[in-house]
Amino acid sequence: IQDDHKLSASELEEKYGTHINKGLSSARAAEILARDGPNLLTPPKATPEILKFLKQTVGGFSILLWIGAIFSWISFGIQLSQGAESAFDNLYLGIVLALVVILTGIFAYYQEAKSTNIMASFSKMIPQQALVIRDAEKKELPADQLVVGDIVEIKGGDRIPADIRLIFTQGCKVDNSSLTGESEPQSRSCDFTHENPLETRNIAFYSTTCVEGTATGIVINTGDRTIIGRIASLASGVGNEKTPIAIEIEHFVYMVAGVAISVGVLFFIISVSMQYKILDSIIFLIGIIVANVPEGLLATVTVSLSLTAKRMAKKNCLVKNLEAVETLGSTSIICSDKTGTLTQNRMTVAHLWFDNQIYSADTSEDQATQPFDQSSPSWTALSKIVTLCNRAEFRPGQENLPIMKRVVVGDASETALLKFAEVILGDVMNIRAQNKKVAEIPFNSTNKFQLSIHETDDPNDKRFLLVMKGAPERILERCSTIMINGKEEPLDREKAEAFQTAYMELGGMGERVLGFCHLYLPENEFPDTYPFDTDSMNFPTSNLCFVGLLSMIDPPRSTVPDAVSKCRSAGIKVIMVTGDHPITAKAIAKSVGIISATSETVEDIAKRLNIPVEQVNRREATAAVVNGMELKDMSLQQLDDILCNHSEIVFARTSPQQKLIIVEGCQRQGAVVAVTGDGVNDSPALKKADIGIAMGIAGSDAAKNAADMVLLDDNFASIVTGVEEGRLIFDNLKKTIAYTLTKNIAELCPFLIYIIASIPMPIGTITILFIDLGTDIIPSVALAYEKAESDIMNRRPRNKRKDRLVNEQLAVYSYLQIGIMQSVGAFVTYFTVYAEQGFLPSTLLGVRVNWENNAINDFEDSYGQEWTKYQRTYLQWIGYTAFFVSITIQQVADLIIRKTRRNSIFQQGLFRNKVIWVGIFSQIGIALILTYGLGHVTALNFTPLRFQYWFVAVPFAILIWVYDEVRKLFIRRYPGSWWDKNMYY
Amino acid sequence: ENKHEEKVQDPDRRDNETKAEMGSKTWADLAGEMKMFLWNPEERTCLGRTAKSWGLILLFYFVFYTCLAGMFAFCMYVMLLTLSPYTPMYRDRVSPPGVMIRPYLNGFTIAFNVSQPSTWQPYVDSMHHFLAAYDDKVQEEKNIECVSGQYFIQGSNESEEKKACQFKRSLLQNCSGIEDPTFGYSKGQPCILPHTWHCVSYKHECLLLLQIIGYRPGAGVPVSVDCKVQKGNESDLRAVDFYPGNGTFDLMYYPYYGKITHVNYTSPLVAMHFADVKKNYLVPIQCSLNGKGIINDVNSDRFLGRIIFTLSIGK
Repeated sequence: IQDDHKLSASELEEKYGTHINKGLSSARAAEILARDGPNLLTPPKATPEILKFLKQTVGGFSILLWIGAIFSWISFGIQLSQGAESAFDNLYLGIVLALVVILTGIFAYYQEAKSTNIMASFSKMIPQQALVIRDAEKKELPADQLVVGDIVEIKGGDRIPADIRLIFTQGCKVDNSSLTGESEPQSRSCDFTHENPLETRNIAFYSTTCVEGTATGIVINTGDRTIIGRIASLASGVGNEKTPIAIEIEHFVYMVAGVAISVGVLFFIISVSMQYKILDSIIFLIGIIVANVPEGLLATVTVSLSLTAKRMAKKNCLVKNLEAVETLGSTSIICSDKTGTLTQNRMTVAHLWFDNQIYSADTSEDQATQPFDQSSPSWTALSKIVTLCNRAEFRPGQENLPIMKRVVVGDASETALLKFAEVILGDVMNIRAQNKKVAEIPFNSTNKFQLSIHETDDPNDKRFLLVMKGAPERILERCSTIMINGKEEPLDREKAEAFQTAYMELGGMGERVLGFCHLYLPENEFPDTYPFDTDSMNFPTSNLCFVGLLSMIDPPRSTVPDAVSKCRSAGIKVIMVTGDHPITAKAIAKSVGIISATSETVEDIAKRLNIPVEQVNRREATAAVVNGMELKDMSLQQLDDILCNHSEIVFARTSPQQKLIIVEGCQRQGAVVAVTGDGVNDSPALKKADIGIAMGIAGSDAAKNAADMVLLDDNFASIVTGVEEGRLIFDNLKKTIAYTLTKNIAELCPFLIYIIASIPMPIGTITILFIDLGTDIIPSVALAYEKAESDIMNRRPRNKRKDRLVNEQLAVYSYLQIGIMQSVGAFVTYFTVYAEQGFLPSTLLGVRVNWENNAINDFEDSYGQEWTKYQRTYLQWIGYTAFFVSITIQQVADLIIRKTRRNSIFQQGLFRNKVIWVGIFSQIGIALILTYGLGHVTALNFTPLRFQYWFVAVPFAILIWVYDEVRKLFIRRYPGSWWDKNMYY
Repeated sequence: ENKHEEKVQDPDRRDNETKAEMGSKTWADLAGEMKMFLWNPEERTCLGRTAKSWGLILLFYFVFYTCLAGMFAFCMYVMLLTLSPYTPMYRDRVSPPGVMIRPYLNGFTIAFNVSQPSTWQPYVDSMHHFLAAYDDKVQEEKNIECVSGQYFIQGSNESEEKKACQFKRSLLQNCSGIEDPTFGYSKGQPCILPHTWHCVSYKHECLLLLQIIGYRPGAGVPVSVDCKVQKGNESDLRAVDFYPGNGTFDLMYYPYYGKITHVNYTSPLVAMHFADVKKNYLVPIQCSLNGKGIINDVNSDRFLGRIIFTLSIGK
């Protein structure tokens, strides 16, 4: 329909009221923006909010609670028709259960909405930018501000911000795969090549990516009017695979639901066969289900994950998907980029060679001085060449910035040299001004040198100084002398050999080496007025004096070696995948520890033993440097072999496509793979990886979109932090779940004993809900703040299959040991309360039927006193409250013991996690409020409690703590023992 | 080319495998796995444990639970040591007293037809049975005569056996069942005994008012009973006679010292003789205690200081 591709540039200008060089005026752009709306796609129709909400109210444990509620209503109906007085209790219970489901549903819905918002805010924090010409100025604008008629410039790596008719291109290629599914880059030009706007070469489409080259074009469509906006099938139907943590949580829900249902059904059968009425049995069943279901737990898990996501965001890891938080923790292989991730992404002078000696320079990020010996006159000469024979300049106006942070106009090597000189000599620009440049030949690939001629800053010295730098062998060819300790000496064979050795040594370290030489032009031959002509080269370019060598490298970030060794001790294999030269790659790998100091590659062994590479036993080599060319010819088997048999691997000269092959290879080994990447072409690998990590600074939008996580500072060390956080949250979720599950037994036992021993009901269903959703919530979230136990980064990544979030040991220890202790403690309180009121334990057994009989109002206690029904019921509520208080008190102990799984609490520090104390105080505070504040609201079944009953369970709380300390002590003392295997969760 | 294809196929195959692992297993697989889990003949494990392992774990739990049970027993023992066998530590939840009626058969409706003895005979039997403990002979044998009008306070030694005051059945006069063994039921004027304190147990048919150890009702002034129609025409209930006296519980019967030391204690009774009640009609009646410290108007507890029952007397 549109025929913009057929129009000429001037026709387009006219049509859109714009100007190719000046662009739109801001006012006009604002007008159009108001008319057309922002340049955004209307998001695909989301699931209706109400559906999302309903989904939350039937998932997980909710269905069990619904069953409970329905049973309650059924028994209410039956009891009502029988005219029982207590019928309404069941109606209320049903309503409360339904409310619980709806409230937790609302919470989960709110959390989900919030995490969606977090994701939305993440994508806002990394907004797509477009380079636009407006008001005759180039401006970076958010892409959604683009309007029809804007002139935009794009370059390789950018996502095309709107539909654009190209008017200027330079080697531009685009990847239309999001549009056509064809990933072969297509070249783009200004020429009209096809009738069909989809086929013609002079239109670039919104959401496709520019792979290489640059282009300028006029925006012809924005937002939903773009081609891709019109294609309805845009709806991203990428099926979300379940993350490891989602699988774990599902497993856990099944487990708990299984326990709830089987215990419920078992006791239903038992109570029926004990000749309870079916209706009573159903009510027991409801109680058992409510006691077994940790109502607040799923909400707690979500909160914990989002807390970790926030914490990681603070440490420069933006997580796009909440559950990816944990995936990072289970990572077993990291395939890392070199440039920018492991290295500083800037050339820096690493070594110098003058006076026949190699000096090392400081390559750290924040260098302010250079420590090597600068007293030699040779250095003075060398520094002059470095300063003068250099075209790079600082951008003005950065005097207050540290030198290393200043922006430089110039290529990477020259920048390195400029900064190096600035650090040592101070104001380089001033030195250059004093040594006025009279002639210059810039570097080109045929000469392989750069030359300039300067006046000297010594007013008495009227000679010109010719300085030259370039490829060392080329420079040496032009020299006849060499400077040693400031004196020119003839360049004999011996000195040339010394040069060769130094050159080889520096080159062998993967560094880029430059040679420097100079010549003072004789005053008589070259007077002040001598007309230097760089075309005819009317000055000497041979028989110069060689001064020295400088070698440069993109040095590793100073935090990386530490991070790599942390990964290593954490059992994570770090594989370097780079497009760089193998020697450089290996050198960097060695300096950051990806290849450790003692390990050798096959080639190293061959060299050491002086035998051909083929004869080396490949098993002896722990390290491997694989060239992209070799990789191309390898079968999958061979690749697997390399990945399996070498612990330290560097892939050099690899293409982005090969990165994908490497990732797949790692996944074949059963590894959880994290991949870092920045380029458009990394997207497949990022998507394929279990967790894709994009670079926030260097990364392209495509990479960021494909990734699960964005490293805001491009720093490898941040990944390690992320791994640590991921492992920590896994551990802490274990602790949270263990904490939450424990009291389920203390809630369940009363029902079981009530059924079997026919004692007055020890705890009410509503009271249980107040524990699960009241006192226990804040403490279980507080465990997410727990610091790592010391060994967190010293153990292997978890095995997806074996190391479950909730394993047998955790369930058994929580249910059958701590849970039972809690029950016993709570029962002691219960019996104490009853005994002190006149009902000795022996009297209580078997009294249920008469106790609950409304007509019996002269129920005799152990002392011969007689109780009315209401008096008994009130006593029963005191019992509920006492039981509740006991569980709360023991949950404090439970909370404290859950701080660690292996270490002693005293190693961990009782006060390091302040949030735990917030949890403890909230727990006790809520219990106090319920007991004394709401104790007179009969519907809640709480009563004010005698103060001493708060302390009856304290011995058991202490017992729990002591027992757990003993458990941990044995685990630490006897690793691998029977105790360790059965007690460590 | 080949390699490329291999590469493409491989991940798919693996995906399928993982999918199979993730849950689309067939039932047969599941059953097989279950069987293997229940009994693995190769490794000789049941539920994932060998016999030795089971032995160890069961031994561990045996010891563990034995210790816990020991601790529980110890705690209970210590707790029981702190209790007095004669008086409960707290008596705040059981006072002020509640009230019960006798005869109590199935509920709080007393319905019978005067002309049909079989309808009232159970009530009469129940009364006789209940009052057996109050037979004048029994009382004279076991209990002593006390001074009326004051509390009968006995020695400060808790463990000493306490004497009980006589409450002779004959005190109930028309309702004693001595002169009229049908307690007036045959005349349509039933006797009902609201009684405070002692009823031996709910299993027996005693009268009303529940007993509380050490409680001294009325603070020196005897507690009395009165009855009225609850919700309805006042004239439905025209005459009620109370025995003994004017329907008071004599102070000498209090306090009660608990069933261990106050073995022969018999709760004092007040019998109500409903001499003139509207016939053939359900008459709801509320009898309340009146006295200092008596609470009889709590909505939640309809047996505290009062009792509500229905009389339905047919011809």
